[in-house]
Amino acid sequence: MPPIPLDQLPPGTRARVVNVYAPGRWNYRLLQMGVVPGGIIEVVINNGVGPIVIRVMGVTLSLGRGIARRILVEPLR
Amino acid sequence: MSKEITIAVMGQPNVGKSTLFNVLTGRNVHVANWPGVTVERHEGWRDYRNRRLHFVDLPGIYGLSASTLEEVIARSYLVSGGPDVVLVLVDSTIPERTMYLALEVLELFPKTIIVLTKSDLAHPQGIHINPHVIERKLGVPVVMVSAATGQGVNELLETIVRVSESIIGRRNPLKIDYDELEPFIRSVEEIVSKTSLAKDFPIRWAAIRLLEGDIDLESRLRKRGEEEALRKIAGIREEIRSILRQRPEEVFAQKRFNYLMDIVRESIARIEKTKMGVHERFDKIIMHPIMGPIISFLILLILFTVVFTINTGFPFNILLDSMGLSDAASIVEEYSLAGLMDKAISLLGEYIAYTLEGSPEWFVSLVVDGIIGGVGAVLVFLPLIFLIALMLAILEDSGLAPRIAVSLNYLLNKIGLSGHAVFPMTLSLGCNVPAVMATRATPNYRERIRLILTIPFIPCQARLIVILAFASALTGLGSVALVLFSYIGAFLVFAFISKLLITYDRRKGLYEEPELLLEIPPLHKPLPKVIWWLTWDSVRHFLKKAGTIIFLVTVIAWAMLYYAPSLEPAVEPGDSIGAGIAKIFAPLLYPLGLNYDQAWMIAYALIIGFLAKEAVVGTLAILAGTSSASEAIRVIGLSDPQIAGLTMFSVLYVPCLATLAVIYSESRNLKLTLIAIAIMLSVAYLVSLVTYSIIALFS
Repeated sequence: MPPIPLDQLPPGTRARVVNVYAPGRWNYRLLQMGVVPGGIIEVVINNGVGPIVIRVMGVTLSLGRGIARRILVEPLR
Repeated sequence: MSKEITIAVMGQPNVGKSTLFNVLTGRNVHVANWPGVTVERHEGWRDYRNRRLHFVDLPGIYGLSASTLEEVIARSYLVSGGPDVVLVLVDSTIPERTMYLALEVLELFPKTIIVLTKSDLAHPQGIHINPHVIERKLGVPVVMVSAATGQGVNELLETIVRVSESIIGRRNPLKIDYDELEPFIRSVEEIVSKTSLAKDFPIRWAAIRLLEGDIDLESRLRKRGEEEALRKIAGIREEIRSILRQRPEEVFAQKRFNYLMDIVRESIARIEKTKMGVHERFDKIIMHPIMGPIISFLILLILFTVVFTINTGFPFNILLDSMGLSDAASIVEEYSLAGLMDKAISLLGEYIAYTLEGSPEWFVSLVVDGIIGGVGAVLVFLPLIFLIALMLAILEDSGLAPRIAVSLNYLLNKIGLSGHAVFPMTLSLGCNVPAVMATRATPNYRERIRLILTIPFIPCQARLIVILAFASALTGLGSVALVLFSYIGAFLVFAFISKLLITYDRRKGLYEEPELLLEIPPLHKPLPKVIWWLTWDSVRHFLKKAGTIIFLVTVIAWAMLYYAPSLEPAVEPGDSIGAGIAKIFAPLLYPLGLNYDQAWMIAYALIIGFLAKEAVVGTLAILAGTSSASEAIRVIGLSDPQIAGLTMFSVLYVPCLATLAVIYSESRNLKLTLIAIAIMLSVAYLVSLVTYSIIALFS
C-alpha cells in the first residue's frame, strides 16, 4: 500500500511510520516520543476535525492535524 | 556532616518525577532559577548514612537534543561536572518510550542509575519487568520504586551512595553500535577533536549530536569562528541523507529505539489486554468533536462556579437573590472566604489601632492603612489563588487537563490560540492573577506572550463589582443592558487585540500556526499528597513573587494618599499627592463631557482602582460623601452615556496592581509589562470614548 498522511487514517487502524516531515522542533519531539520511521502506531481517535489521538509505544499522544498531516504512514492489514 | 553527594533527577514528563523528588527530599526544598533563564530549579536535601544527599530536580524532558531550552539546561548541567550521580526515571507502565531518555543520558554520563517508577502499577497492568536483565545489558544499577507505597526508596539511597563511590555502575559512557553510521561518526569525531568542543564535551557524543543537526553545538562552533568544521559536518550529513534516503536524526533515533527494543524484549513480559476499558470509552466521548467541547465546558463551569462561590459568594448569591432569598444571599456573601478574610483584616487593623493609641497619627496610619492594608491586599487574593491552584492540581494530576485542552483545541484555533489557552481564559473570569500564572503551560512562547497581553481584558470578579455598581445607577432595562454590554464588549476587545497581535507576529515572521502535541496520561484518581504539593507550589510562588510587589506598591500608594504635596498629612482626600496627580490627568476625561470637578474625582477613583478594581466603587462614595456608589454617581451628576463610557473604561484598563505584578514576575520583562499597561490604557480610553459618543448620539 502506498504511504498516506497520518490524518487520513481511520480510528482503529495500525500503521508503520514511513517518514516524519514536521517542522523544526516538532520533528525532534516526535522522534523522542517514539514516532520514528519503522515504528508502529495505532490511531485511537480521528474525527476528521480537531486533534487526532494515537498510541505509540504504549503511550497515548494527541497531535494537531497540522502535525499529523506531515507524518507519512503505511497502513497495516 | 561529612560528605555531600549531588544527584541530578531526570525523567520524561509524567513519569512521576516531582512525586519521587518530594519523597526523596521530604519537601526539604529550595526553589531558584537556572542561571540566566526563568526555568525553575528545585533543590532538596536528605541526610543518609553520614552523607548529605543533595538532589537537583532537572526539568522534564523527552531527550537530550537541543530542541528546547529545558534540554539545553539539562545537558549543560550534566557536562558541567555538577552532579556526582544522575537518576533517570523510567515509567514502569510505559518502559519502552520513557527509557529513551535513559539511553541518551547514558551516552553522555556514565554514573547513572535507572529508576523504574510506579512499580506498584506495572503488575496490575500486566507488565512484568526483570530489572536484572536491564542492569546486565546497560551496565548500570536499576532500582524499582513506588512513591505511593515507599517501596524501594531505601534501596535507591543505598545505590546512590555506592555509585557515587564507584563501587558499582559504569565507568564510561554507553556506546551504542550505530552500524552503517559508524564510519560517519568516526569522520566527525576526527573533525570535532580539532575544535574547541573537544574540551567541553565527550568527543563521540558531540560527533553524534552534530550529525543529528544539534543547533546548540552548531552555534557554539559558529560563535568561535570554526566555520570550516561546520561545513565539513554539513557535507557528511548530506552524504548520509543521499545514501540512506533519510535524515540522519531519524536514523539515529530509529537505531536507539531498536537498541531499546532488544533490551525490552528480554527484560519485559507483557500480558496484552484487548478489552476496551471504561477509560477508553470516556476518552472517545471527551475527545468527540461535539460531545467533547460540551462536556469540557460543563466540567469547567461546575468546578469554577464552586470555586468562585466559596471565594466571594458570586454567582450563587445572585441566584439566591433572584429567587427572592436575599437573606440567604447575603449570608453566602458574608461567609465566603473573601468576606471572612476581609473581616479578619479589618478587625486586626482596628485591634492594632487600639493598641497603638497614643502613638503619632502618621505612624498609626502607616501601620494600619499602609502595612496591614498591604498585607491585606496580598491576603485577599490568597483564598482564590489557593482554591484555583487546588482545582488545577486535581485536573492536572487526574489526567483530565490534557483531555480538556484537546477537546477545545479546535474551537480555540479559530481565534489563533491552541488548546493550551483553555485554562488561562477560564480562570481569568474569576481573577486575572492565576490566569496569567497558568499561561506557563503554553509551549509556544509567542502564543504565551499574546495571552499574557490579552487576558487582562477578560473581566474578573472584582470588575463585576464595579460593573454592578455602575449598573445600579441606571434604571430598568438599562442596568441589565450595561452588564451584558460590558462582558460582550470585553470579549470582543480580547478577540480583536488577539487578532491584532497575531497580525503583528505574522509581519515579524514570529507567528506559528497553533499546534498541539500532548501526551495523554492514563486517567487516575488523584493522590492527595501530590495535589497538596502542586497546590502549595503555586501558592508559594504567588506569595513570594507577586506578594512582595503588591505589598510594596500598596505601601507607596498609602503614602501618596496620606500626604499632601507639602509632605504634611492631607486634611481632605482632595489635598493628597494622589489627588494632585488625578487633577493633572483630569483634562483627559473632558471628551467624556465631564467638568473639572467631576473629572478629577473620577480620575482619582480610577487611580485608586489601579490598586484593586473594586476600590473604584468605595472611593467614589468617599469623595462624594455618600454611603453608596449609586448615590455617589447621582451626586457627581453623571449622565447615562457617561456611566456607560466609564464602565467600559473601568472594565478594560489595567485590572489591578497584582495582575501587573504577576505579568512582570512571569515574564521577567519590564518592557513587556509597560507595553501591556500602554495597550490596556489606550484601548480602555478609546473604547470608553466610542461608547460614550455612540450612546450620547442616540439619547
